[in-house]
Amino acid sequence: MRFLRAAYKLWTSSAKFRVGLSIMGILVVLGAGQSILVPIIGDGEDPLEIAAYKQWLPPSSDHLLGTDRYGRDVLAMTLVALVASLKVGAVAGVLSTIVGVIVAFVAGYKGGLLDAILATITEMFLVVPSFPLLLTLSAYVRAVNLAHVALMLTVFSWPFAARTIRAQVLSLRSRPYVDLARVSNLSDLEIIFQELLPNVLPYIGLGFANAALGAIFALMGLEVIGLGPSETLSLGIMLNWAIGWGALSLGAWPMLVAPAVPLVLLFTGMTLINISLEETYNPRLREVARIEAPRGNGDGELH
Amino acid sequence: MTNTKTDQRSRPRLSARARRWFADHAHAAYVIRRLGRYVLTLWGALTVAFIFFRLIPGDPVSTYLASLEQSHVHNAEEAQRIVDHYRELFGLNDSLFDQYIAYLRQLLVSHDLGPALIDFPTPSQIVILRALPWTIGLLGLSTVFSWILGTVLGVIVGWRRESRIADAVTSVALALSRIPYYLVALMLVYFFAFRLAWFPPMSAYAPSIERAFTVEFLVSVVKHGTLPALSIVMISVCNWLIITRTMVITTLGEDYLVFAEAKGLSERRVAVHYVLRNCWLPLITAFGIRLGSIFNGSVLVERLFMYPGLGNLLVQSLLMLDYNTLQGIVALSIFGVLTANAAIDLLLPILDPRVKY
Amino acid sequence: MADSHVRSAKRAGAESTVAEINDLRVFYQTNRGMTWAVDGVSFSVGRGEILGITGESGCGKTTMANALLHLTRPPGHIASGRICLYLQDSEALDLLKVDKARLRKIRWRHLAYIPQGSMNSLNPTMRVIDQFADVIGEHTSTPRADIRNHVVDLLSQVGLEPQIVGKFPHELSGGMKQRVIIAMAMALQPDLVIADEPTTALDVNVQRVIIQTLADLRDRMGMSLIFITHDMAVQAELADRVAVMYAGRIVEIGDVRSIFKSPLHPYTRALIQAIPHVEGERVCLQGISGSAPSPTDWPSGCRFHPRCPAAMPVCRRELPQLLPVEQVGAGPASSQSLVACHLHSSVLRGRIS
Repeated sequence: MRFLRAAYKLWTSSAKFRVGLSIMGILVVLGAGQSILVPIIGDGEDPLEIAAYKQWLPPSSDHLLGTDRYGRDVLAMTLVALVASLKVGAVAGVLSTIVGVIVAFVAGYKGGLLDAILATITEMFLVVPSFPLLLTLSAYVRAVNLAHVALMLTVFSWPFAARTIRAQVLSLRSRPYVDLARVSNLSDLEIIFQELLPNVLPYIGLGFANAALGAIFALMGLEVIGLGPSETLSLGIMLNWAIGWGALSLGAWPMLVAPAVPLVLLFTGMTLINISLEETYNPRLREVARIEAPRGNGDGELH
Repeated sequence: MTNTKTDQRSRPRLSARARRWFADHAHAAYVIRRLGRYVLTLWGALTVAFIFFRLIPGDPVSTYLASLEQSHVHNAEEAQRIVDHYRELFGLNDSLFDQYIAYLRQLLVSHDLGPALIDFPTPSQIVILRALPWTIGLLGLSTVFSWILGTVLGVIVGWRRESRIADAVTSVALALSRIPYYLVALMLVYFFAFRLAWFPPMSAYAPSIERAFTVEFLVSVVKHGTLPALSIVMISVCNWLIITRTMVITTLGEDYLVFAEAKGLSERRVAVHYVLRNCWLPLITAFGIRLGSIFNGSVLVERLFMYPGLGNLLVQSLLMLDYNTLQGIVALSIFGVLTANAAIDLLLPILDPRVKY
Repeated sequence: MADSHVRSAKRAGAESTVAEINDLRVFYQTNRGMTWAVDGVSFSVGRGEILGITGESGCGKTTMANALLHLTRPPGHIASGRICLYLQDSEALDLLKVDKARLRKIRWRHLAYIPQGSMNSLNPTMRVIDQFADVIGEHTSTPRADIRNHVVDLLSQVGLEPQIVGKFPHELSGGMKQRVIIAMAMALQPDLVIADEPTTALDVNVQRVIIQTLADLRDRMGMSLIFITHDMAVQAELADRVAVMYAGRIVEIGDVRSIFKSPLHPYTRALIQAIPHVEGERVCLQGISGSAPSPTDWPSGCRFHPRCPAAMPVCRRELPQLLPVEQVGAGPASSQSLVACHLHSSVLRGRIS
């Protein structure tokens, strides 16, 4: 499929993509493998049960990252929390992208007043600090499960996707082959699906990457303050606990480092993927990305 | 041919006379358009905020009461009387439209937001104004500093783009550019405040010192502000480096740069007069656009350090469900960012000799 | 006129050559590999001489112009060659081997450039006067007041009014910008000016002014000019010698009259024949069949052979070298004709053997 071929081409050409995808790959594998890894860590017991072990154990061969205040294995907690973050980020990212695609195509393709309105709304969400609004919303609508949170995050992340995609739709819409399609009596929907969508696909991918980044930031923000999904263990909640339990002054660095490191990796990985996509598909940035320039051999060989 | 057709589809239609006037007075037309967009976006954003606050289930008074109920015993009848009284006070008995008008009037005209629950009965706007200088100070200094440092580094890296070091620096900056300030703050606090105790881990100044313009106080402010500022600066610099580098490289590819080289001008002259002069205006525009996300990120940083700015106030009011203060902060941040952007856009044509309206 | 030639020749220390280019090769590094845009170009330019370079688009003229000024930038690279400059107040130097500081000092003061499509060559954020002042200030120590007068004078020579000095480039028309650049090129009275299609975007009246100005400068200051244009008519008016480029190489170079009266290379002949005559009978114009080859795909042997009406079997195999041809009533060495064509080299060889 075109998609796989494009992905392969990206892999071979961009070091940033390789690094970013590898980081994400490791995180996803770790997260996906939590159902296997956690029991291994627990060695028959549930390492996440309260008072499964003694509290505040320092890292050792039994507990690679020690235990927390309630005697739970920190490594196991991190793995489970990682899955939650990945899941929500992915779901919010996908939903945001769907909304973003719809908005972008309606606005970019139809043009006119509709475009002006939608574009202004998109810009409004992007310029204005939307995080306070999200915080407010979640403070009052105390989100209980991941689904609610993902939905709320979508409301705030869709403009990131929409902006990227709309720009491309606009630029493509005035190309000759679209006019050709219009003249040959294809319906609008057919034009969108057959002509525009395949060429916008990389930008949809980019939009997803942008939206996911925004969603993960917002999710982390919510959790850290304590407004995140209350019934799930998450990386942000672990940070919240770490600070609340005075892990900093106790010197219990695993409680801090264990959730922080995957988060940093998550952001770095997604950003690298993001950038490699932009560098490949944004023509203006392509020139800016470094071009390899070898020296000539000077003997006038013709090729 | 096709392009003009589709262009016309995107623009709202104007009468021929209006179009002619706009063509003749390009600058005035631009100012009007931009101000119009500003007012429209401001109104839209404030309205959306209003809807948000009204969409929230329950009303501020009952919600607050409900949270109190959980911790104290109460007398239902008495409680109801108090609730009614406060509903009246907060204007919650009026129709939604009246509330909307009152909201707009409060924000834009009277600047009286009603009592804050955090510090009852101090009016919200006082509470907000107390916190505002700290945020402006922290964000203002961090942003300006990272803009300057990031821009200078970006020029250097963009200028010497063949060097391996420049490449490495760029890749690192790219990778770090979207890490939340908060995570950096965590690491800084852990290392420098707790492990090494070089800097204090919270507040804006040592509580034992009196608030006055004394050297002692100012030193304390600086010490307390260093880690929060650093968290913001470290990532912001990366962002500015990238933006500037892109601008510089784009500019370096322009014909007039080749011509400048042909003229045998010194590198310094070319860098300042040919590159920077053509770069710096888009950088200022980019600054305005980023203000919103800088504020977003700073909220968590302030919270971590308990820095008494708007971000921390926001979280406090959230946890207390202090409606008025929340509304006020949201409205203020919206207003601040949109106004800054409009001001930049209006200043631009004056600064740039070649801006086409 | 002859006086000025002699004078400047004496000043230069008996060298009547201002520039000598030897086997210049420039390649582009693209996704498809290396393409040789300039593939072994050699010629010389005399002091006070106007050398016209002509050829179709894609033949490498602009690449060569950039290389002559050492302005080649990636993905273009100068692979080899020598560009010897014999400047008025210094010794001979190889432009490609000079250190950066020296190169910078030479620029504009001795070697000026009028780029193709000068519309974008002016700094959009600087006024005209400042763009003159910076280069004059860089290379001389002229006081500011004198600079202004000098600039006004230069601008008048290209037919521009003094008000121009305070304007920004976007306030000027394309033709005016072009003239500003030309005026700037003359500001320091350089030894050699390289002009790439300087008259292309201008209307005929302005063209006339420019051509006249350039000729005047050559006469008054002994300035040498390498003048690149595909417009043969302008070549006829202005050039002393003409070099014809095709597919990265010079295929013919000689005195302007010889080129026009009796072009040797089939390509040159076709170019001349393609010029419509204003007077006389209306003749059906002969174009050149086929299209110019792209650098990625040059024909083997003589690169013109697919389109050449006089192609021979050897033309497909061997690349002809640029060799002198005997001219009747030949002048000084520099006005000798050289041609890269098997037709003529076989004649030559025939004579020798």
